Amino acid sequence: MHWRYMLYVVGCLIVFFGLTMLVPLVAGIIYQDNSIQSISYAMLLTIASGLGLFFLFRRARASYISQREGMAIVAVGWSAIGLFGALPFYLNGSEWYLVDALFESVSGFTTTGASIVDDIEALPKGLLLWRSFIQWLGGMGIIVLSIAILPFLGVGGMQLYKAEVPSPVPDKLKPRIRDTAMILWKVYAIFTAAEVLLLMVGGMGFFDALCHAFTTMPTGGFSTQNGSIAQYNSIYYDIVIILFMILAGINFSLHYQLLRGKPLVFWKDPECRFFLAVTLAFTAIVSWDCWGVVFPNLGQSIRYGAFQVVSILTTTGFATYDYEQWPAMSQLILLLCMFLGASAGSTGGGMKCLRIMLCFKFCYKELFSMVHPRAVTTIKLGGQTVSEDVMRSVLGFLALYMGLFGISTVLLAAVGVDFVTALGAVAACIGNIGPGFGIVGPVGNYADIPYLGKWLLIWCMLLGRLEIFTMLILLVPEFWRK
Amino acid sequence: MVSVCAVAKAVGVYKGTITLKIVIVGAGEVGYHIASRLALENKDVLVIDSDAAAIRRVSDNIDVQTVIGSGSSPMVLEEAGIKEADILLAVTNSDEANLVACLVANMLSPSTKKLARIRAADFDNFHNAFRDKAPHIETVINPEIEVVKTIERLMRVPGAVDVGEFADGQIKFVGIYLEKESMLAGTRLSDMSRHIGGKRLLIAAVVREEEVIIPRGQDKLMGGDLIYFISEEERLLETLSIFNKHAEPVKRVLIIGGGRIGYRLAIKLEAQSIYCKIVEKSADRCAVLAEKLNKTVVLHGDGSDQGLLSEENIGDIDVVITLTNDEETNILSSLLAMRMGAGKAITKISKFSYFPLMTAIGIEQVVSPRLSAINSILQHIRRGKVLSAISLKGEQAEALEVVALETSEIVAKPLRRIHFPKGSMVAGIIRQSHIIIPTGDSIIEPGDRVIIFAQRKAVNGIEKILAVKLEYF
Repeated sequence: MHWRYMLYVVGCLIVFFGLTMLVPLVAGIIYQDNSIQSISYAMLLTIASGLGLFFLFRRARASYISQREGMAIVAVGWSAIGLFGALPFYLNGSEWYLVDALFESVSGFTTTGASIVDDIEALPKGLLLWRSFIQWLGGMGIIVLSIAILPFLGVGGMQLYKAEVPSPVPDKLKPRIRDTAMILWKVYAIFTAAEVLLLMVGGMGFFDALCHAFTTMPTGGFSTQNGSIAQYNSIYYDIVIILFMILAGINFSLHYQLLRGKPLVFWKDPECRFFLAVTLAFTAIVSWDCWGVVFPNLGQSIRYGAFQVVSILTTTGFATYDYEQWPAMSQLILLLCMFLGASAGSTGGGMKCLRIMLCFKFCYKELFSMVHPRAVTTIKLGGQTVSEDVMRSVLGFLALYMGLFGISTVLLAAVGVDFVTALGAVAACIGNIGPGFGIVGPVGNYADIPYLGKWLLIWCMLLGRLEIFTMLILLVPEFWRK
Repeated sequence: MVSVCAVAKAVGVYKGTITLKIVIVGAGEVGYHIASRLALENKDVLVIDSDAAAIRRVSDNIDVQTVIGSGSSPMVLEEAGIKEADILLAVTNSDEANLVACLVANMLSPSTKKLARIRAADFDNFHNAFRDKAPHIETVINPEIEVVKTIERLMRVPGAVDVGEFADGQIKFVGIYLEKESMLAGTRLSDMSRHIGGKRLLIAAVVREEEVIIPRGQDKLMGGDLIYFISEEERLLETLSIFNKHAEPVKRVLIIGGGRIGYRLAIKLEAQSIYCKIVEKSADRCAVLAEKLNKTVVLHGDGSDQGLLSEENIGDIDVVITLTNDEETNILSSLLAMRMGAGKAITKISKFSYFPLMTAIGIEQVVSPRLSAINSILQHIRRGKVLSAISLKGEQAEALEVVALETSEIVAKPLRRIHFPKGSMVAGIIRQSHIIIPTGDSIIEPGDRVIIFAQRKAVNGIEKILAVKLEYF
């Protein structure tokens, strides 16, 4: 393993990340709030640490990065960025404990959107923007951004890309990885700008529009309001945000093809069809289930039902209604949505529609070959045969996901969290959603989870965002063996 | 600050060049190595192969785009963006697949330049027809013809481990090992003329411990170095005498392996009235060879069979050439023949991973059809008017022969005022079949042929100063 080179790359990442703190700093200066000091200290500290690593290992060079080195860089890089991202919170005041600051920061980067802040509106604007901005950076991936911008990451860029992008089979849109990363970020930035504009047309102020766009496109879910989107109580905002949540939940390479003038790509892609069909079906079921029980008329039922289904399915986690007051079936559908997640290659979390589809196909194939023991069958998706390797990694992922979910709920209950909350919190964190059930439901937050539980959930969020393998491999002894 | 400058420069380079888009059909050894070379030079490369495992090897190790599918399928080619591609390289193992790929590409995108590897001798007379008629293949690459040429050159230049040609053979480019006891070992380049009297020696590159060095006056030569020098054809023997290598005429040759290359070589040798024997394992193939060849002695047997070799007086053979399809057999037969007293051995090796081992084993003269194919392909991919491109051992550097265009940056000013990228040098200027050894004050005139040595990282920069904005894009 090229340890020195890996630390050099992580050093570069940290310096680069430190520079992004300029964004909230500018906001703090404009609004003249008390976040200026903590953000500027955090920025100096981050850049200094990064430069330290950079200069210490600047002579290290590698002509080649193996897959496991790529995974290690991404895992270590994300952990470091989570830590440094917590500094602006931690340095802001004595009410921030380290674990709380870290929880807020990791929850931001992993686009989970779980918060420990009771009174969000009381936070200074600089920190509010920082919360939203780190979600935006984490959504498309700070490493993908670095590949696009920093040319010297060209060596092994593909390995880093594979380790960060949430997809079992990452697409390469252009021959060179740097161009691919650039395109993804451009599409992402264009959509974000469009959402800011549309929200402002509806009357939202620039600061709030920017913060909400920064958290919708990465399917993050942090809001600047205590009551999330419900506080605005506006059909227009609900519709705009539903639309952009759906866009964010679709594979970004499809968006690229759409922008290049192929209007039918959403329909031609089997995963996208599946994702849209599930969205429609679940919305219909939830709306019908709540109609007459919670909401007196159908229109309201569809409005809140659709928003909540899309918000949870895409793993965003905005709330317009307290879904814990809905009938049991609707709540269970939302729980299913937490596991299902968005499309592969999108900014959403969860298990991803692609994997679920492949799993169904695999199960069907098994049943089929029991009826026809001599049949030769392959698993196909959109006319393309899915290779054994991909299938194996998909099944391994699903098994690990469920296994880690089970272990984590038991551990969380062991530190004194109740049954429903434990289930909801772990599902919401490992799927990068945000609100769960029980005390961490849409009207509650994570402030009352015991400290040990918060550490556990921080780990779950990182596991979910980096698609389990990248994080988990650090725990495998074989990985460290020379 | 240094790194900031480097970043800015790299960004500049990255944005400044209009990238060439190249589609490669076939992810075999040739396709793989061409792709990795071009990807390092920041070209847009896309590789097509129907074998998922081969494609995986490419996408895991090289920064290129990949498509799984048959390269002769119109759908696959279209998906690969053949319409925007500047060059199509068809280098699968099958001649037919390569031809069809070019044919289909020609229908989809006539403007794309097509290169194909076609090996069967049956097509030899049709290379021009392929260019002028339907598939419009710009150049047919036949590595076997190239390999035969290389073998002939190696046979003629004593002691050489690598021989290339520039200016239609008038200029030779020779790689030779410097022996430890040679009088040149330990001398500085600047003191060289004292040691060799009035003779001329233009050293272009030195390979030391797998590292290519472009030497300057201060650098010393060491025993064991692989030295590349440039010389006119008529002075070659004189130059070689500096290295204590003297020409001994080749009279008797033993070829082990009577495949396509062996057959082609035998025909050439017959024409030069060199006594030639071929050892071939397959009885059927022996019958065919005996039928087709007139003077050559065809022997049925195993090239690594000691009894057979001594029976055929291996000690009197000047050159043994091992050309079977099995790498390990070639290596062992060569070693065995040398041990038994043969003059020298030329070994065919295709696997690139074996090259670094060869010196350690004691095999110096190696030919590789794949490396030959890569060299001929590179020549056609380089921008500007490139006449030939030769990669040095280990692929770390390249020697290019280019025509200086009137509008390019390199003409009409002294060399020292031209900004050559780091790791490159002008090794020679050929003006009306005279070779000029350049100094800082030399001026390149339009129409001159210039020989440039460049390390791999400098190739992109070289291309930039050679290619004129108006010439290609």
